[in-house]
Amino acid sequence: MSLLQEEREIILSNEYVDSFDFAEVEEFVRGADKELFISHHFAQNKKMLVQPRGGFPTYKKQFALNEFFVNANVDVLPLTIDSNTRLNDYATAKKMLRLSEESEQDMLNGYPLVNHGYRTTRKMITHFNKPVSLRHGTPDARLLIETAIASGIFEIEGGPITYLLPYSKNFPLDKAFLYWKYVERVCANYSKLNLPINRESFGPLTATLVPPAITIVIQLLEMLLSLEEGVKSFSVSFSQTGSMNQDIVMGAVIKKMAKYYAKEIGCEDAVVNLVYHQWMGAFPTNKDFAESLINTSTVIAAMVGANKIITKTREEASGIPTKEANAKTVANTQYTLGILNGLPNIVDEEEEENLTLEVKAIMEAVFNDEADTLWRKVFNSIKNGTIDVPFSPHIINHNEMITIRDANKNIRIINRGGVPIPDRCFLYEKSKCDLTKDTTSIVNDIIHDIGIMQ
Amino acid sequence: MKVVTGVVGNDIHVVANRLIELSLNARGFEVFNLGVNTYLEEFFDAAVETGADVLLISSLNGEAEGWAREVKLLKSKYKTLDDIVMVIGGNLVVGTADADTIVPKYKNYGFDLVFHQVDLNTGLDTLEEYLKQRDVA
Repeated sequence: MSLLQEEREIILSNEYVDSFDFAEVEEFVRGADKELFISHHFAQNKKMLVQPRGGFPTYKKQFALNEFFVNANVDVLPLTIDSNTRLNDYATAKKMLRLSEESEQDMLNGYPLVNHGYRTTRKMITHFNKPVSLRHGTPDARLLIETAIASGIFEIEGGPITYLLPYSKNFPLDKAFLYWKYVERVCANYSKLNLPINRESFGPLTATLVPPAITIVIQLLEMLLSLEEGVKSFSVSFSQTGSMNQDIVMGAVIKKMAKYYAKEIGCEDAVVNLVYHQWMGAFPTNKDFAESLINTSTVIAAMVGANKIITKTREEASGIPTKEANAKTVANTQYTLGILNGLPNIVDEEEEENLTLEVKAIMEAVFNDEADTLWRKVFNSIKNGTIDVPFSPHIINHNEMITIRDANKNIRIINRGGVPIPDRCFLYEKSKCDLTKDTTSIVNDIIHDIGIMQ
Repeated sequence: MKVVTGVVGNDIHVVANRLIELSLNARGFEVFNLGVNTYLEEFFDAAVETGADVLLISSLNGEAEGWAREVKLLKSKYKTLDDIVMVIGGNLVVGTADADTIVPKYKNYGFDLVFHQVDLNTGLDTLEEYLKQRDVA
């Protein structure tokens, strides 16, 4: 028996798992309908796929949510996991699920997939016969991913960096890399049985003034960590920056760079998709303004040429959205996409060149780390500040980089910290900003820059 | 002047915490930022370790009161913290309540300065003024 299989058996002989039948699950994946695979829909390339966010604790409510989404003409169903499961606290999730089932009150902020189990969840997923995307935020997602794939969920979001740096203060990053290595291998192995399982990275990170170069570098590194384990379908992603031009430039550069680095490691046969997140920062409380923001995001996603868009709702500012509001966004986004015809092709060569140089310089510094494997190089690069994510709560992150918006709302780097932004690029970034102000006014500007959509 | 700061309890709201650090640095303080999700013991330990003059605790999710109740008791166990200036700020209540009820409550818990939903620079101006007055006295 391989080491991986030994580890799988340990992970799956968990008291909260009702006997995992490896052979039956393999048979299920081998015979699964191609409609369940998002990789199949990406390959058809008919339109930008629309995927909302959403997860309820009980089977009944999750089923009802999915019905609403399907009626609103959804392309990809989400399954968002509750916070206890994300922290591997299945005991609390179990208790809260029971409480939610016994009353009308939801006691969990998502679907406790491990507690429901794959036999139950698979019924729902095969019933709707739509691709499902797993949304979570779990540093150790080994059991969750096994349960997801066995349920018929063939897109897995997350990664060791993007699910840790924005969400955790002190979960050990090196452990996260090893746990995600397991996830990549399991996805790669199942991908051999039928169409590829798609892996997706979480590009928004902290969604707070993260400069494009940092986002792209982290997207590329998670992509490489995934492809080197044998994953054949991967989505890089980012969220609306606040400047349409910066979004378009980012889309162009990330697509080029993803192709380039995949080829560098001999994985050019893998398919790389682009996912765009509607505005991930603070939303306006005025619900009509929120809808306007959502529509603007959709237009930009079309300009960026995204393969999939992940939506928000008009209720974003006030908490977890109702299924009605959620379905409404799906229908509206589909409508907007349908009427967006004859889009112009915008290319900003100067900005593209600057961003490409920044990305290449950081990537080179990561590859030049003396460690023997890619994950260790990446780990060291985060630890020594070569990669620095603004506003990450994690203790390993350096938090030395400072960014502000320029007059066109582009995110610019005014303090590079330990990140090897080339001098020429750094001067270019700073030349776009008014740096004559004192720190107190710059802090006021930053507060304003974070909340521009409110 | 040394300041220990951080966000108290199981609160992971990091944005203001970074801005507080930036602003304090800009005003010439030496800042020891413990970040989000920090327990009271960690604050006091850090204050002793650094010889801090000011302990600036912040909170956004509103759960600060549960922690603040224990400040006096816990602080009394440390021998060298009698002169430290205790400051708390942010959103100091779950739900809504006005400053007139919140400020005296937190002063009673052992804080010298209390800022409930006060703008960052106004709060830091008040802190600087307070430190100046204290030095004169």
